[in-house]
Amino acid sequence: MPLLGVEQVTSGYGEMEVLHGVSIEVNSGEIVSIIGPNGAGKSTLMKTIFGLLCPDAGTISFRGNDITGLNPDRVVRQGMAYVPQVENVFPSLTAHENLEMGAFIRQDDFRERIGEIYELFPLLKKRKKQRVGKMSGGERQMVAMGRALMLDPQLLLLDEPSAALAPNLAEMIFDRIITINKTGVAILIVEQNAKQSLRLADQGYVLAGGRRRFADTGKNLLANEEVGRLYLGG
Amino acid sequence: MDILARIPQLLVYGIISGSILSLGGIGVSLTYSILGFANFAHGDIMALGAYITLGLFTLLGGWGLPNTPFAPLSFGLSFILAAILSMGLTGGCMILLDRVLFKHLRRAGSIILMMASIGIALGLRNILQFFWGPQPHYYIEGIQIATRIPALGIRIKPDQVFIICTAILLVVLLHVFLQHTKIGKAMRATADNMDLSRVTGINTDRVILWTGVIGAALATAAGVLAGIENKFITPELGWQMLLSIFASVVLGGLGNIYGAIVGGMVIGISEEISTAFVSTGYKPAIAFIIMVVMLLIKPAGLLGKGK
Repeated sequence: MPLLGVEQVTSGYGEMEVLHGVSIEVNSGEIVSIIGPNGAGKSTLMKTIFGLLCPDAGTISFRGNDITGLNPDRVVRQGMAYVPQVENVFPSLTAHENLEMGAFIRQDDFRERIGEIYELFPLLKKRKKQRVGKMSGGERQMVAMGRALMLDPQLLLLDEPSAALAPNLAEMIFDRIITINKTGVAILIVEQNAKQSLRLADQGYVLAGGRRRFADTGKNLLANEEVGRLYLGG
Repeated sequence: MDILARIPQLLVYGIISGSILSLGGIGVSLTYSILGFANFAHGDIMALGAYITLGLFTLLGGWGLPNTPFAPLSFGLSFILAAILSMGLTGGCMILLDRVLFKHLRRAGSIILMMASIGIALGLRNILQFFWGPQPHYYIEGIQIATRIPALGIRIKPDQVFIICTAILLVVLLHVFLQHTKIGKAMRATADNMDLSRVTGINTDRVILWTGVIGAALATAAGVLAGIENKFITPELGWQMLLSIFASVVLGGLGNIYGAIVGGMVIGISEEISTAFVSTGYKPAIAFIIMVVMLLIKPAGLLGKGK
């Protein structure tokens, strides 16, 4: 049984249907990458999985439980965390407070976990008392990922983590994604930076026009001529 | 008297009225930052709190609790106790209002919420008038003699010192709450980004309730302090101050709690100082002129983020 199962999900914004019966799977400990052109419905899929949008049809299951249409504050309690593409930090709070908010539903002592996050992103430790609103794009992305990791999730959803970052920073973020994955966290990632994200993915999906076009291992998708021509810029 | 010689005294009056405006403004600002609407009922929540205090004060007196004034103040234990209990009770009323009304309208958007708050404002004021009548009710009988401080060229009553100190104490408590408690931090997070708060697992419904309770408790304090300063309360008490409160909140930066405190002080002091130059009838106009000028120069307000 997969960790996350999305079956024939149809979803969108009000009257506008964006996803037309999409199915994907994420197994425990895997990195799964979803690529596709702008407007393919990648972010919509993420929001639907996390309960920010309610699907019109189809089912979503996580760890064997049906979570279709569950509110985000309930989904997060199941062991799934989500980093939205934009507005993914609390700008008027300090970096440290952002991490504390990430642990909001934890009743136990989470100081050790904060220490682990600071080990993963040493820069954040230096800036922990700084307001996140005054930080750079790369630093904000670290805060956002750190915040999501505070709950020790089994699955982390990342929506375009490298968007608008300089190449060396994007490289660093991808590097950290691998490190996070090695601690046993499964990762579902949506990326514009398609080649790079397929390179580190166990499994990949190509989404276009709200439908699933290809599904294969990351390696095979990179090698697939048609995918290369249509979606990876030749 | 020479105009300049009157300024220190007017400054004292300004700080007193600024203390009251700040406490009132915090609630308006909190509600705006989290729910995104201007709460017109806030002034009448102030009046409600002031009347609940009056009711409890009478009740406690009936039970034989002493109200021997804490010299040199002109009120005693049972009055202070009534005010503290009233802060909690008015907070409870706010929860009730939220559950019965606001909660169901949140999906409808901020304009609908604002209109509903005007309805609640009228309703509350009329309920107060129904039970207590439109005539003033006296908090404090008798006259308190002001102490002269010749070095500063001012006169101030012990009750007025109490008003300023209480406002400072409450603001410090609020600051500690917002900066150092879990729910306080969650309130700031929710004000920053409600969607992200939900994604993070913060129970935003509970945060909204806390916002209402704290706003109402501080409004009660503002209403009671206004009652101490004026010696009496009327059902119109909060409504009359609401325009100045809105002006303070806009001046300080909508949604910024610290801005509301600064804005309240600036408006309070400006209104009083203006009476050295123009008729006291123009006080509300002064508040508005300052607000309009601020909106023209820096719409985000004194402490607002320049968005």
